[in-house]
Amino acid sequence: MADLQIYESYQRLLQNEDLSTPLAAILALTEMMERSTAGTMFELLNELKGSAEALSRQSPNPIGLNAGCELFIEFITLFPHDAASFSELKTELIRQGQQYAKQALTYRAKIAELAFDFIKDDSVILTHSYSRVVLQTLLMAHKRKRISVFVTEARPRGMGIKTAEMLTAAGIPCSVVLDSAVAYVIEKVDFVLMGSEAVVESGGLVNAVGSNQIAIIAKAANKPFYALAESYKFHRMFPLSQYDLPSHNSRLLSFQTPSGNPRTPSGRRPSESSLAPNHTASIKITQEDIARNNPDIDYTRPDLISLVFSDVGSLTPEGVSQYLVGMFAG
Amino acid sequence: MPSSYRDRAGSVDGYGSVDRGPKSRGLRIFSHFGLPKTLGHQVKGDIHPAIVRLALQFSEFKICGANARCIATLTAFKTVIQDYVTPPHNTLSRHLMTYLSPQITHLVAARPMSVTMGNAIRQLKLEISDSDIDLPEQDAKDELCQKIDNYIRDRIIIADEVIEDLAVKKIKDGDVVLTYARSSLVEKIILRAHSLNKQFSVIVIDSRPLLEGKTLLHSLTSTVPPIPCTYALLPALPSLITDADVVLLGAHSLHANGSVYSRAGTAMVAMLAKEHSVPVMLCCETYKFSETVMLDGFGKNELGSFIPKFSPDTPKSNSNLEVLNPLYDSTPPSCITAVVTEVGLIPPTSISSIPLALGKTTL
Repeated sequence: MADLQIYESYQRLLQNEDLSTPLAAILALTEMMERSTAGTMFELLNELKGSAEALSRQSPNPIGLNAGCELFIEFITLFPHDAASFSELKTELIRQGQQYAKQALTYRAKIAELAFDFIKDDSVILTHSYSRVVLQTLLMAHKRKRISVFVTEARPRGMGIKTAEMLTAAGIPCSVVLDSAVAYVIEKVDFVLMGSEAVVESGGLVNAVGSNQIAIIAKAANKPFYALAESYKFHRMFPLSQYDLPSHNSRLLSFQTPSGNPRTPSGRRPSESSLAPNHTASIKITQEDIARNNPDIDYTRPDLISLVFSDVGSLTPEGVSQYLVGMFAG
Repeated sequence: MPSSYRDRAGSVDGYGSVDRGPKSRGLRIFSHFGLPKTLGHQVKGDIHPAIVRLALQFSEFKICGANARCIATLTAFKTVIQDYVTPPHNTLSRHLMTYLSPQITHLVAARPMSVTMGNAIRQLKLEISDSDIDLPEQDAKDELCQKIDNYIRDRIIIADEVIEDLAVKKIKDGDVVLTYARSSLVEKIILRAHSLNKQFSVIVIDSRPLLEGKTLLHSLTSTVPPIPCTYALLPALPSLITDADVVLLGAHSLHANGSVYSRAGTAMVAMLAKEHSVPVMLCCETYKFSETVMLDGFGKNELGSFIPKFSPDTPKSNSNLEVLNPLYDSTPPSCITAVVTEVGLIPPTSISSIPLALGKTTL
């Protein structure tokens, strides 16, 4: 019951265009605290941890919200307990949570200001999918400099088109690039600006699928790859590879051998005649099938990233991991 | 060319005849490694019997490995401290260290001090100088022994358990885990993963002269049911590395620039794994951190050519042949994906921020 309630409030909060998943998770947890009947700090922390787990269980892609929950629980644990009574302390914690969320909304402007110094006049920028912080940065840069932007389509969700529409509406020269055409367009690009779902402890990046290949292509073409991330997206997680991400499961990218489509004998390619027209017509692969069989997010290694712009400063990937170690390892 | 070769050989002969007798040509550029010593039973000065025994065990490689040596040293020091009597007109906090110093010197004469021992001894010195002057002697000694026990418990035993928990999560069903030589920590991690009913297999890579992997292989295959293992020597690594999903390595010490000082051959395994994009996890407690910078395996190393434990078919040094067996090498941080410590998984480049994060100025 309580588990359902927290997921509902999380979903409701996400309706707000400005709230990203970690912030929505933090606010959902503060709402839970308001409802909570816990009488001690220990109980409250247990409830918070339970709710965080429930949220993460119910969400299809829990990485962003995990980062928020982790940050909030860490904050509550370390909060000085000098209030006169527990109820006062709880009210104070709720106030702090809401205040943090309010404060956190200003982070994007701060990041835009930092990234702005790296955008030269007449720059050509490549970005991927839809990211609020990248959008804000681009809109701000447009006011003072001439920029033009390539946006990838970002299959399967096609969120790049949303970015392109918003940029065009703001009067920024903008062109949608197929995900498969990134290597074609990279020569024209000055640098890549990438949003992120989470920045992980290795200094790497978890973001909408396709980010990794863009980073690899940017590296191969010697173009800087800048990631933009608010500090609440820093996450204590260390993926060793793509398959080490919590979102990975064995169903993703499994080989489909539907019945009635026997695999061709090895070593012999099917001849033209064996592919009867009615046979090919019987197999239909829809976009939904492809999307279901494919990952939503991928992991970008730190050595592919030039800089991470965040509200705590412009960090190298090593700097990100040092910041995370300093924050959580103490 | 031949003449210059003769010149060099001549000068080496001259050097050898002076320093090492006619049987050895000397070590030339490797002389700074320090020759492995065959420690006799001669003991200079007032050395405690526990230390004499420990030194012999060190020099004969009966006790080998960074953790084992550190625990053995601290345990021996506990006996030494308990048997110590403060001379009149002295205080324990001022005098005990002057008594311990020759003991340490004797241990170092047997085998160069490991970073772990150095860190532990530094902590012990700190505790001794901090001990209360007004405390009765026996109480002060008990307190020191208690602190030594706590150090072993917190920095090694509990730390190992936390590292096991963290590292085991990265071993998944169907994985092939590759490891090199034998690290006590890696052994514990693999055994823990097995006790959690994970289905995985292990490739043990080994190398002469120590062939420590055999011990690991024995303990992994004596579980019920036995862990499927493959045993191969280092030259076979290139053909096996493609099968591995993750590489687990142990370490002797970890340096401030992120480079890893570990059993000779580790660097080769790590580099090959990087070349084949296999993630390399280095398992290492934080007490193995050293604030020095290590750039290669030549600045500091240890030679092990006269170790009696070596297999009898090891070539012996003679006037025309110098057997050189560096015991360690240095792995650059770029070849390590993650370092598993008790404070979490961290990239090797962020090692230097850990002491600060723990709020300590010394390790």
